Amino acid sequence: MAEMAAARSNVYGLLATVFRAEPSAALLAGLKAPEFADVLGSLDLSLGEDFRDAPCEKLVDDLAIEFTRLFIGPGPHISPHESANIEHGNAMEATLWGPETVTVKTFIEGTGLEYDDSFTDMPDHISAELEFMQRLAAKEAETWAEPNEQLATNIQAIERRFLDEHLARWVFPFCEKVIERSELPFYRKFAEVTKGFLRYEGETLQARIAEAGNGKANPD
Amino acid sequence: MKSLDRRNFMKLSAASGVVLASGGVDSQPALAGSITFAKGGRDFSPLTGKERTAIPTACWQCVTRDSLIGFVENGRLVKIEGHPDSIRTNGVICAKGQAGINQVYFPDRILYPLRRVGKRGEHKWKRITWDEALDEIAERLKPLLDAGTPEKLMYHYGRNKASQAAVTYDFLRAFGTGTIGNHTSICEGGKWTSQELMWGGHYDNWDFDKTDFVLIFGSNMNATHTNHIPVSQRLIEAHVGRKVPVYVFDVRLTDTAGHADEWIPINVGKDGLVALSMVNVIMEEGLYKKDLFKFMKVSADRKASVDDKIAAVKAQVAKFTPELAEQESMVPADKIRDLARQFAQAKTGVVVSYRGTIAHQHGSDQERAMMLLAAVTGNVNSPGGRCQGVGASWKAPSSKVGQKSGGKIRSLDINDGFPGQVAYPTHHVSNQVLKMIKDGRNGRPDVYIWSCYNPVYVNGEMNENREIMKDESIMPFLVSVNIVYDESSSLADIIIPDVTYLERWDWEDMVAPNQIAEYYFRQPVVKPLGESRDIGDMWIGLAKRLGIELAWTSKEDFVRQSCEMTPGVKEAGGFEYMKQKGVWHDENAEPDYYGFKTKIPTEALAADGVIFDEATGVYWNWQKSKAKSEAEAKEVGYQNTPKSYKGYVGQEIDGAVYRGFKPDKVNKSGFLEFYSELMKAKGMPVFPTYTPVPEHEAMSPDELNLTTYKVGVHTHSRTSHCKWLSEIYHDNPGWMNPKTAADRGLKDGDKIRVYNEVGEITTHVHVTEGIIPGVIAISYHVGREHSGRYGSGNPSPVPGVVDDDPDFKNKWWDKHGVHPNTIILSTPDQISGQQRWMDSVVRVEKA
Repeated sequence: MAEMAAARSNVYGLLATVFRAEPSAALLAGLKAPEFADVLGSLDLSLGEDFRDAPCEKLVDDLAIEFTRLFIGPGPHISPHESANIEHGNAMEATLWGPETVTVKTFIEGTGLEYDDSFTDMPDHISAELEFMQRLAAKEAETWAEPNEQLATNIQAIERRFLDEHLARWVFPFCEKVIERSELPFYRKFAEVTKGFLRYEGETLQARIAEAGNGKANPD
Repeated sequence: MKSLDRRNFMKLSAASGVVLASGGVDSQPALAGSITFAKGGRDFSPLTGKERTAIPTACWQCVTRDSLIGFVENGRLVKIEGHPDSIRTNGVICAKGQAGINQVYFPDRILYPLRRVGKRGEHKWKRITWDEALDEIAERLKPLLDAGTPEKLMYHYGRNKASQAAVTYDFLRAFGTGTIGNHTSICEGGKWTSQELMWGGHYDNWDFDKTDFVLIFGSNMNATHTNHIPVSQRLIEAHVGRKVPVYVFDVRLTDTAGHADEWIPINVGKDGLVALSMVNVIMEEGLYKKDLFKFMKVSADRKASVDDKIAAVKAQVAKFTPELAEQESMVPADKIRDLARQFAQAKTGVVVSYRGTIAHQHGSDQERAMMLLAAVTGNVNSPGGRCQGVGASWKAPSSKVGQKSGGKIRSLDINDGFPGQVAYPTHHVSNQVLKMIKDGRNGRPDVYIWSCYNPVYVNGEMNENREIMKDESIMPFLVSVNIVYDESSSLADIIIPDVTYLERWDWEDMVAPNQIAEYYFRQPVVKPLGESRDIGDMWIGLAKRLGIELAWTSKEDFVRQSCEMTPGVKEAGGFEYMKQKGVWHDENAEPDYYGFKTKIPTEALAADGVIFDEATGVYWNWQKSKAKSEAEAKEVGYQNTPKSYKGYVGQEIDGAVYRGFKPDKVNKSGFLEFYSELMKAKGMPVFPTYTPVPEHEAMSPDELNLTTYKVGVHTHSRTSHCKWLSEIYHDNPGWMNPKTAADRGLKDGDKIRVYNEVGEITTHVHVTEGIIPGVIAISYHVGREHSGRYGSGNPSPVPGVVDDDPDFKNKWWDKHGVHPNTIILSTPDQISGQQRWMDSVVRVEKA
C-alpha cells in the first residue's frame, strides 16, 4: 500500500508540474531522457521525434507559446480552473473564482495546507488540485509505513472524496479540449496521460479502500 | 493510449519519480505547510463559514462612479449594491454597476504580463514575468531620458479620473513627458470648450431637486448620462413626485423621451436653432428675467447697461424666428412659442443638453445657444437651474517634476489636431491623434502606452486606426494595460494585466447632483486575481528602474497620504475612516449658488502683481501668467497674454469687483460671455448663432444621416465582456423611420448594407416610428472583433476554434452587432475638436 501510494504521488506530482507553468529546460531534459520517453512510448504516447530531437532551448520557447495560447490567453482560452469548467444550471456561476474555487480552497486548507504566497493563480487551478493529491498520496504512503492503518485508510477516503467531488468532475472534459486544441504533441499527450491516470485512479482507489477496510492492507 | 494497468502504471510512476527527483520540478509549488490531520486541521463549516463582509468601494463602469458596497463571501465577491450613505447616489446603482462582478471573474480575463511573439495581430503571445515586462519597457524608456526626449513616451487614456489619473500624471510629469492623450473629444469635449468660453470651468449640473421645468436636448439622461444615477433619479423624482413638466427634443424616442410629458422629434443638428428661437420668443414677448444680464457680456461694450444688453440679445436673435426654426428643425413654431413661454414663466427651470446637441460641426456653438436660453431666464448657478458642477477637492502627494530633464516637461504637439484645424482644443482632439502620428509632421512617440482605452475601436475610421497601430515603422513599441483582449491590445507588443476597479485603491470626486461635494473612496473588495496589478504600482516599478523618485510607494500609499492631507477627510479620521465608511461630506456645507455675485475684497485687488485690464474689466495677477514683466502684461493685455486666466482675480462691473464667472483654460473675462472676443479672434461666430452642418446641406435624396447613441447597459467599449450586460444588449440594428424604410423598399428585420467613402457595415433594420425620417441610428457598443467570448461571440481570437466551455453554453444569443465606427468619419468640430459623431452621411440598401 505504501509503495502504491508513493507511486501515485509521483504521477500526480509530475502532472501538477506539467500543468503548473511553461516547462523549464530541466523538466524537458528529464522528459527527453530515455527512461521517461520509453514509458510514454510503451503507452503509445510518444511525444514525437521533433520533441526528442529539438534542442531544449527551442522547446522551452515553443512550449511557452503553446502553454500561453492554451491556458493563459490573451482572449478566450482553455481555463485550467475547476470553477470555469463545471456546468451549472445557473449562468451566473460558471466563471473564475466561482463556488468550486471556494470549495476546493476550503477542502485543501481543511487538511492544514496553505496556498503558498508565491502562487498567483486561482485555488482551483488544475495544478493545485493535482499537487494536493500528490501531497495526500505522499502522506498516505508515509502513514502506511509508520504504520498507522487507520489514518492511512482515512486519507484514502479523503483522496476518494477529492477525486470524486473535484478532479473527476472536470478534468476529463478539460483534457478533451486540450487534446483538440493543442498544436504540438506535448500537452495533447500529457492530457492523455492525465485522463488515463485519473481513470486508473477511479477504478482502483475504491478497491484499495475496500481492501484496507477488509483488513487486508499491507503496509509493505 | 493504452489503458493503464498496474504494471505500466508502476513504470509510469517510476519514470515520473526520476523526472521529479532529477530537478525537473523547478516551478514553485502551489501549496505550503504540512498535512496535519492529527491536529484536526482547520474547520470550515458550510453553514457557519459563509460570513459575508460588506466593503465600501466605488464603481468605475462609467464615469459616474457611484459609491458601492461589495459583499464578499469566502474571498469571493458575490454581490454589489449601492452605498446607502452616499448623498450623490442615495444608494442607487445601475445594471452596469451590478454587473461589475463580471469584470472581476469573466473567464477571458488577462491575468499575466504577456509579450507578443508573432506579428501584430497574429495573436501569438508568451507569458512573461512582471520583472521581464518592466525591464523591457524600462529599456525602451531609458534611451528617451538619456537623449533628453522624454516627450517620446506617450501615454493615452480613456477613463482616467481622480487618484487613478493623479498617480499616472505624477509619474509622467516626473518622467518629463507631457505627451498625454485623453479621450474627451470623443465624449463631450465640445460641451466643455463651449462652457469654458462662457462661464469658465466645465461640467454642468441641473438642480432637479429644486427645478420647476425641464427642457432636454439631445440627452438620454435617464439611461446614459455621465452623471447618470445621481441626476436621473432626481429628474424622475421631480417629474413623478412633483409633477415637474419635462420636454425632450431628440432625433430618437429615447428612454428619457418616452417618460417625458412629450417627445418632440427634431432634425439632426438643429437643437441650437430651436433654443435660439425660444430665446427670440422670450425676448420679443418680454418674458426674460433681468437678474443675470448684469453679469452677461452680450455685445462689444462691456460697460453696456442692462437695458442695452437686453436690446442687444433681442437684436442678435431677431432672425431666429420660430417659423425659421420650424422650417429647419420640423419642430412646430407654435410648440416652440408655447414651450418658450412656459419655460420663461416657470419660477425655475433647467436646460439640459448633451452629445446629441454638441457632437456636430459648430456643436460648441449650439451649447452656447443652450446657455443663452438658461441665462435670459435667470437659470444659471441658481437654485433649480443649470449650475456649475461641484466635486470633492482632494489633496495628493506630488513628486519632483522632470527629474531627468532639468525640471522641464516636454510634449509632442500631436494632441490638438492638425495646425489650424481647431480653434480652442481645450480638451484636446483625441480623435486626430492616430492621424497625427501617421502624418508624423509633429513627431511620433517611440513608446505608446495606453490604459482603460481602445484607440482602434472607440474612434471613427476603425480600419485606418488598425492599420496605423499595426505599422511598426510609425508606432514602434506599444504597451496595453488592460483586463481584456480587445481590438487594440491585440496589436500591442506588451500587455500588462490591469486590476479591475474592484481590486484597487482610489479616492474619488465625481460631481454632486445637489451642489454639495462628496468625498468618496474605492478599495479592493477582493485580492487582485492572478498577477494583475494596479497601474500605479506599474509606474512605481518603472520609476525604480529609471532612477525616478516618487513621493509615494504604492497606489495604496498614494491614497493613504491623500486622505491624511485632505481637509475634512483628515479630521474625520483619514484613510482608516474612508476604509470603513467609504463616503464623507461636510454636514454643514451649503449648496453652492450665485457664487458669481460674491464681491472681491479690496485687499485682493491690491495684492502684489494684480493689475487692471481696461479692455475686459478684469483684475488679474500678471505674475501667474506667462508675461515676463508688468509692463509687457499691460501692453499685451489680459486677453492676449498667454495663460493670463491663471491670474484672474475678479471682474469689474458697474464700479464693483465680483468673483464673476472665473475663467479656466482660456483668457475670457469674468462675465458670462455670449459675445466672445475669443471666438471672434479665431474667425468663429462672435455670438451664438445657427450654422448648418455642411455635409447635411450637401446630402442627396438617397443619402441618410447616420447618428449614433448609447444604451443604458453598456459603456462604449469596456463592458461587452460582461455577460450579464451582453445578455441584455448584444445586437444593434439600424433604427429607421417607416417612410425612410419604404423609400428604400425595406421592411422590419431586413438585412441592410450601410456604407460611405470610408467603409461599410452590414446589419438589419429596425423600422420604427421612434425615429425621425432621413436618418439611420446605430448604437456603438457592440460589434466586437475581440472582447472575450461574450463581446465577440468568438471562443477564441483565432478563427476556427470550437468552444464548449460550460460558461459558453449559457450564452443563448448568436447576434453580436456591428460597430458603426467603421463608417463614422474621424472629424473634429472646428471650434472645440469634438468628434462629430452625428454628422456622417451614408447610403443604405438591402443586403
